[in-house]
Amino acid sequence: MTAALQERPPVLPKSDKTPRRRSRFVGWAFAAPFTVLFLVFALLPVMASLVMSVTDMRATDLRTPLAVNFVGLDNYTRLFSDDLFLRSAVNTLVFVVIGVPLTIVAALAAANGLNSGLIRFRAVFRVGFYLPVVTSIVAIAVIWRFLLDPEAGLVDNLLGLVGIDGPNWLGDTSTSLGSIIVMAAWRNFGSLMVIFLAALQSIPHDLYEAATLDGAGRWQQFRRITIPLMRPALLFGAVITGIGYLQLFEEPLVMTQGGPLSSTLSVSYHIYNQFGFGNYGYAAAASYVLFVAIVALSVMQFRLLGNRDD
Amino acid sequence: MRYRWLAVATSAALVASMAAGCGRDSGGGQEAAKDVAEGKASGEITVWAMGTEGEKLGEFAKAFTAENPDAKVSVTAVPWDSAGQKITSAIAAKATPDVSMIGTTMQGEIAKTGALDPTPTDLFQKDSFFPGAWDTTVVDDTAYGVPWYVETRGIFYRTDLAQKAGFPDGPKTWDDLKAMAKAMQTKAGAKWGVNLQPGKTGSWQSILPFGWSNGAEINSDDKYTFDTPQMTEALTYYQSFFSEKLSPTNLPEGALEPAFAKGEIGAFMSGPWHVGILNEQGVKGKFAVAPMPSKQSSTSFIGGSNIAVFKDAKNRDAAWKFLQWLSKPDVQAKWYQTVSDLPAVQSAWDDTALSGDPMLKVFGEQLKSAKAPPAFPTWTQLAATFDVEAEKVCVGGSDPAAALKAVQSQADSIGTGS
Amino acid sequence: MTRDRVAKLSLYAILCAGLLVVVGPFLWMLLSSFKPEADIRSVPPTWWPSTWTLDHYRDLFDRLDFPQYFANSAIVAVLVTAGNLLFCSLLGYALAKLDFPGRKALFLTVLGMLMVPGMVTFVPQFVLVSNLGLANTYAGLVLPFLAGPFGVFLMRQFLLAIPDDLIEAARVDGAGEWRIFWRVVLPLCKPALATLGILTFLSSWNNFLWPLVVATTDDKYTLPVALALYAIGQNRIYYGLLLAGAVVVVVPVLIVFLALQRHFMRGIATTGLK
Repeated sequence: MTAALQERPPVLPKSDKTPRRRSRFVGWAFAAPFTVLFLVFALLPVMASLVMSVTDMRATDLRTPLAVNFVGLDNYTRLFSDDLFLRSAVNTLVFVVIGVPLTIVAALAAANGLNSGLIRFRAVFRVGFYLPVVTSIVAIAVIWRFLLDPEAGLVDNLLGLVGIDGPNWLGDTSTSLGSIIVMAAWRNFGSLMVIFLAALQSIPHDLYEAATLDGAGRWQQFRRITIPLMRPALLFGAVITGIGYLQLFEEPLVMTQGGPLSSTLSVSYHIYNQFGFGNYGYAAAASYVLFVAIVALSVMQFRLLGNRDD
Repeated sequence: MRYRWLAVATSAALVASMAAGCGRDSGGGQEAAKDVAEGKASGEITVWAMGTEGEKLGEFAKAFTAENPDAKVSVTAVPWDSAGQKITSAIAAKATPDVSMIGTTMQGEIAKTGALDPTPTDLFQKDSFFPGAWDTTVVDDTAYGVPWYVETRGIFYRTDLAQKAGFPDGPKTWDDLKAMAKAMQTKAGAKWGVNLQPGKTGSWQSILPFGWSNGAEINSDDKYTFDTPQMTEALTYYQSFFSEKLSPTNLPEGALEPAFAKGEIGAFMSGPWHVGILNEQGVKGKFAVAPMPSKQSSTSFIGGSNIAVFKDAKNRDAAWKFLQWLSKPDVQAKWYQTVSDLPAVQSAWDDTALSGDPMLKVFGEQLKSAKAPPAFPTWTQLAATFDVEAEKVCVGGSDPAAALKAVQSQADSIGTGS
Repeated sequence: MTRDRVAKLSLYAILCAGLLVVVGPFLWMLLSSFKPEADIRSVPPTWWPSTWTLDHYRDLFDRLDFPQYFANSAIVAVLVTAGNLLFCSLLGYALAKLDFPGRKALFLTVLGMLMVPGMVTFVPQFVLVSNLGLANTYAGLVLPFLAGPFGVFLMRQFLLAIPDDLIEAARVDGAGEWRIFWRVVLPLCKPALATLGILTFLSSWNNFLWPLVVATTDDKYTLPVALALYAIGQNRIYYGLLLAGAVVVVVPVLIVFLALQRHFMRGIATTGLK
């Protein structure tokens, strides 16, 4: 994964008399099928939506999309005086800043647990922990809403057994975003765990044996051996999770509809609402602001977690 | 290949036109409806309908094709979830069916795209529908489509608890509702007197009726008017149920009916669909419905769905004839018996299936005066703002006047969209 | 030795508790899909159905043309998956192992696409597909998803880790580029292909909005769209139908996952470690 932005010298077909020309042809021949589809079905719509973001297009213009006014960067500047957008940006930031590390730590803990000399039933745990990833969000939402229900929910009923009066997790502004964070981590840690587990399995055993002989404890081994050797996998996890979490949408949509009092409104949700209200130009502009944030976060993660000698 | 270049050319043209700075013509104004040719309907009529309506309409329309042997009705059932997205996308791509069911709150936005055909005046009489329902089809003084079915809101209450609370016939006025809610808690052992929606998505449907009952109007001509004294008074009254702990502020989804069944909640405001849910929950015979409590009047919200013909319809005349058939009183009454949709046509209510049911009678009376918000294209956005502000009032305890002022300033800044 | 045993036992205990937390909700979902509607909403919630009922399943299978929707979902998911496996591995190979002008720009564009929020391109994409005459066709359901940037990223990363010597050796033997790709490169990619396969299948299988909009008659609906038709009403949700529907949608995904999971794990392992 460190290789993400790292370029390796490509292999040139040496047997050919004009290697460059042949390789040029071969390269594009392999790239062509994807590129054609990509240009038509991905890049064209992106261009159209970029244009949309500098117009005052609304849903009422859908039949006559050419008859709209060019407004320059007006949509972009308006975004930053939109209270709900700013609120959603703060919520999303909190979600990413807490959610990404939480998910990574949970995945790391699970992966380490499964890797610690435990041989039996590993497949059962692996599939079990992966279940939330493969299940439709609708089912997850129904179950979690019931779990977190202050009256009927299992969580508060369990708390009640030990004498704690549990809060209304999703209904209270002080716990709603936290509940969404925990739920997202629960839902997503499985796929990261699988990546980390794989990374752990490929760390040579003799490294640990040598460390044990040197008298290093388990925690020290984890810090000195495991973490450094897992850095590429951690980076991969952080980038992919960051991209996904900055686009947080489904969880608040099905759990809280952005409430209570906009405490779980995310940027993507706000964009979704704006499209729903028919403010196409404005929503497109917001989407590209989010895009810039995602790119920035990814670059930052590569700087922070990437190998310096890459 | 030809098509691909067409697409490239289209988006190139889009870019070019932006650079040229084309503007829209600020249109609006009344649009004339064309008459529909005489005779029987023929050809295929493609129809989109949501949920249960979509599921049952195809079979139901066989009675229509029996009368019009050359016609064929092809119904596509569309899920309620994201139905709006499907319709707007189809409009954008000019790939609409002949006919579609359209939720009343989306009517303004969709009609304003210019995608809907004005309702032919030779086929439909405005007066045969509930006035509030007809109003939801009107955009820029032109009716687009007709009301198909309606629903409205009333107060559901536990008859046994109301008896103990001293209101055996339910609340009649604002004061009654408040007093009954209090007595339900003090005398009848209910945990909550009445459940009202504490803001959040769709709460305008619960709050506006109190405003209307108090003489408020949320629009006059082409302007929203939210911050009126009447509306402020209504919202203050509504808020008092939460501040006086008569209504829960954070009842989870799905918890209302079991709590009502157990007598923990004495009453709640909702629509006709709740009769069926309550009967399933085993409360049958233990509850009744009262009309909205009155202040100056008893005025509820009218919802439901319209059905409209698209301008790009391939079979326009037959489509309108199909809608004309759907609007016949006997067909409307039969449709009620098929899917329990309440008829939008007033005379259909004379049918014994409807007039014989005491609870339906309450809704039927209420419908005569029930109102809907204006069909402005920006309504859905304003409604969302209203819901957010209402939540601040009900849950957060903010000042109702300030909240309405905030809604009004948002309304002033985005306008009606017409 | 005993200390190790205690450690092992407590680890088991923790993992089992964790398993309960992740599997519990699914068990509840499964059990509840056999409960009568009122039972599902009972306060407090129950685990075991008071009476077992197949009503929701019967309702689902009676009301919706299940084989048709299942077939649509399967056709779309299989085509999308196959297309992604082929196109993404072709481009991934080119990006990782071949030199051609515009290579880096192409890679960065594809990577950037991964970061564009999907909502913003939705309507233009549908207008495009509709103008190409593909509305209400399988092509319209499949084509826009054939070229997924995630797959390219994944395949490129994986292929970077494959030693050049293997490819070089084949070239020295005089094998053509296509033959090298097909006979040497692809077999080495099996784990990555399995990974990409399950992820693509999963997202295609669960996709809701696109098939809803592209299918203009209900015989082209996919399973999630058809299920939404009955479970979610204008003013109420039918929980029994919703849960039974969720179970029905999950089962095929689980089968694919179980079938591929061995490859799947190894695939991510190699990519994760470059």
